[in-house]
Amino acid sequence: MREDTGRRERGEGPSGPSPLRSSPGPASRRHLLSAQRRFGWWLLLPSLIMLAANSIFPLLYAVGVSTKAYQMLIPGPRRFVGLANYIQALQDPLVWHSLAVTLYFVGGVLVLQFPAGLGLALLLHRLPRRQELVATLLLIPTILSASVVGFQWVQLYNYEFGPLNYLLALLHLGQPTWTADPHLALPALIFVDFWEWTPFMTLLLFAGLRSLPPQIVDAARVDGSTPWQVVWRVFLPLLRPIIGIALILRIIMAFKLFDIVYVLTAGGPGIATESLAFYTYIQGFRYFNMGYASALSILQLILITILAKLLLRLTRRPPIGGFIPQEAPL
Amino acid sequence: MKDPKSTRKHPHADRARSRVTRRALLSTAAASVAVPTLLDAVLSGQGTLYAATPSTTVNIEIDAGQNENPFRWKASEVKARWGFGINLIGLPFVGQYEKLVSELTARSTAYDVLVFPPYFLGDFVALNFLRDLDQFKGLGDPQLADYLPAYRDPVIKRNGKTYALMYDGDLLQVTYRKDLFEDPKERAAFKSKYGHDLAPPKTWDEYMEIAEFFHRPPNLYGTAFYAARGFCYAWFINIFAGLGGKWFEADMTPGINSEIGVRALTLLVKMKNFAPPNILQIDYPGLNAVFLNGSTAMVVQWDDLALKVENPAMSKVVGKGGYAPCPVRSYMPYSRVMAVSAFSKNPENAYRLAWYMQLPKVSVTYVYDPECGEDPYRYSHLKYDAVKNHLGKPTMSPAAARNYVDAIREGLKAGYPELSIPGAPRYLDILDLYVNQALAGALSPKAALDAAAREWKSITQAEDPGRQKAAYAAWIDAFRKAGIQY
Repeated sequence: MREDTGRRERGEGPSGPSPLRSSPGPASRRHLLSAQRRFGWWLLLPSLIMLAANSIFPLLYAVGVSTKAYQMLIPGPRRFVGLANYIQALQDPLVWHSLAVTLYFVGGVLVLQFPAGLGLALLLHRLPRRQELVATLLLIPTILSASVVGFQWVQLYNYEFGPLNYLLALLHLGQPTWTADPHLALPALIFVDFWEWTPFMTLLLFAGLRSLPPQIVDAARVDGSTPWQVVWRVFLPLLRPIIGIALILRIIMAFKLFDIVYVLTAGGPGIATESLAFYTYIQGFRYFNMGYASALSILQLILITILAKLLLRLTRRPPIGGFIPQEAPL
Repeated sequence: MKDPKSTRKHPHADRARSRVTRRALLSTAAASVAVPTLLDAVLSGQGTLYAATPSTTVNIEIDAGQNENPFRWKASEVKARWGFGINLIGLPFVGQYEKLVSELTARSTAYDVLVFPPYFLGDFVALNFLRDLDQFKGLGDPQLADYLPAYRDPVIKRNGKTYALMYDGDLLQVTYRKDLFEDPKERAAFKSKYGHDLAPPKTWDEYMEIAEFFHRPPNLYGTAFYAARGFCYAWFINIFAGLGGKWFEADMTPGINSEIGVRALTLLVKMKNFAPPNILQIDYPGLNAVFLNGSTAMVVQWDDLALKVENPAMSKVVGKGGYAPCPVRSYMPYSRVMAVSAFSKNPENAYRLAWYMQLPKVSVTYVYDPECGEDPYRYSHLKYDAVKNHLGKPTMSPAAARNYVDAIREGLKAGYPELSIPGAPRYLDILDLYVNQALAGALSPKAALDAAAREWKSITQAEDPGRQKAAYAAWIDAFRKAGIQY
């Protein structure tokens, strides 16, 4: 593609210089290129300004604030404290607790969502027709707003009147106090996220499956592969990039766990469901400790970036043990 | 076939295109600056709108729900009297503080009248969010001499200036099942088990005995309390106060993790054993519900529960409620005051509205209405025949009204003030967090209170210990002058 554009820029046809065109001299070509480059930069300028205003400036500002003792409720100048807020964060047991809650949540969500999402995607892939309709219906939980999801699950988890406890009582399985039990509250939130976001995982993996050439599967079957081998040795290696993207997206989204905590448990009981994002919110918007909250935000950003990088690196490795070559002459 | 010469035109054509595009680019850039500017003007220009029509609407910030009702009931009277309408802006009950601080720090002109609990007052005055109401007294005398002392100077004034007027005088009260307490069989069984008569508790030990006695799950629970995150600290402080605890020592050493504090929290944690299993989810409406549906024998709740108990539309235990002050002392958490925002473009009308709503003849029509949560705060409210709804209809039987008003009077005599110094919302939220952790079983009462006390010290340190000490002393002094023991 780039090669082709280069040819066009040089006034060449698909198979070399056009005999009917006289190519411009080197000076004229340089001038043309530089004018085009300048024009390109002009076109980019609004986007660059928007990017700087929306992303880079707030990020740099947050980095700046994180190095200051800045409590919005206490009048006085903002004192530069260097890395003190970061050191305080690393020594704050509540930060480690909320990080543990977040990692537990992220781990729980991925462990449940990936196999379920893959299973649903494979089922969807095998549907002879109406795949789009089923996929759209599956997506309903994902397109609901977090407050609606939270409200629904507040009702479903209600100790006295919730349908979940009603069914459990019918089966003589007791009536758990879902979000009021420190041991059950976080699993209860993981289940809400599982319900809400598994369809998203399904959709991504389903899109990946649809993009695979059917000949590969046919060839594997002709070679005597069992359905399990097809999934394990054909689909999974070839889906690795899309799996990587899906996992990264879910890790990032789960790491930012805030909305369902806010709606369902407010971090409680005690601090059993206080995620890192929720703890940052409390520091920033309940105690207005802006310097500390900014430091916590930057630490989260660094953590998510490292996790995403690691995952990207893992998923970029070439498939191991796959018997289908990359450029299979099928 | 193209003319070979035509290729020479390409650079010029490009330049021409680029000139046109630059022009377009400049137009786009201008538009991209102008559109956000216009949008910003529209979005942040609410103040301008209000300024243009200063007398047509007064915007009231208040926690959303039943507490908005008195303003609705009086809206037409206000309109007829002064010609302005009201616009209620409901904020969440839990989270009101952070929303208000965020907006008022940005000098929001969205609100004229601010309705909030007095424990915000210390911060709001320090941050210059409020107007001094003394300057508006010419518009109407608020008749402060009729305020109950506990709700006057310590609650609405700071540094000798009036910053707020009362809207709701809160108090915790024991509400119990009179039918159970008066049942001869229950009385005999209780006396044989505990060696004294079954009666509304005078001490916290008696309270625990009664709770234990009536605990017969799943049909009847001994007691219930607000154990959810947000206000569970108030139920701890209620016991702490009754046992003789103090917020701070004179040198600002926290008093919550004293021996009394640990005993109080241990009692509250033990109380869970006599409560519904979902106690950690029980908040204000949840606590009302477990008493109103008849499943709980006795609760400590804000005093407006009595009005709901006696309302057939809300209660399954009409006529079965008994009311008493909390053991030893009754904590006065929350309450509501009305203040005028420093950024209001309509301060005179805002003051007129607040002034009108708290007048004796107006406020008495809503402090006994079960459709709202407002409670008495004036001497003139504490009359048995005043217990009526906003339409003038009695809201309970004369006997129940007598019992209810007497319980309020007795409770106020031994009222325990809510902390209201700069930083109070943070002190209280931290306390709430750790009390909730103790209730959840994550920390022992001592560990929880020690952790809360450590955080209290750091808040005091950040706020400036000298200033906090002075603010605390002034606040205590105001209460002592109001006749409240501390």
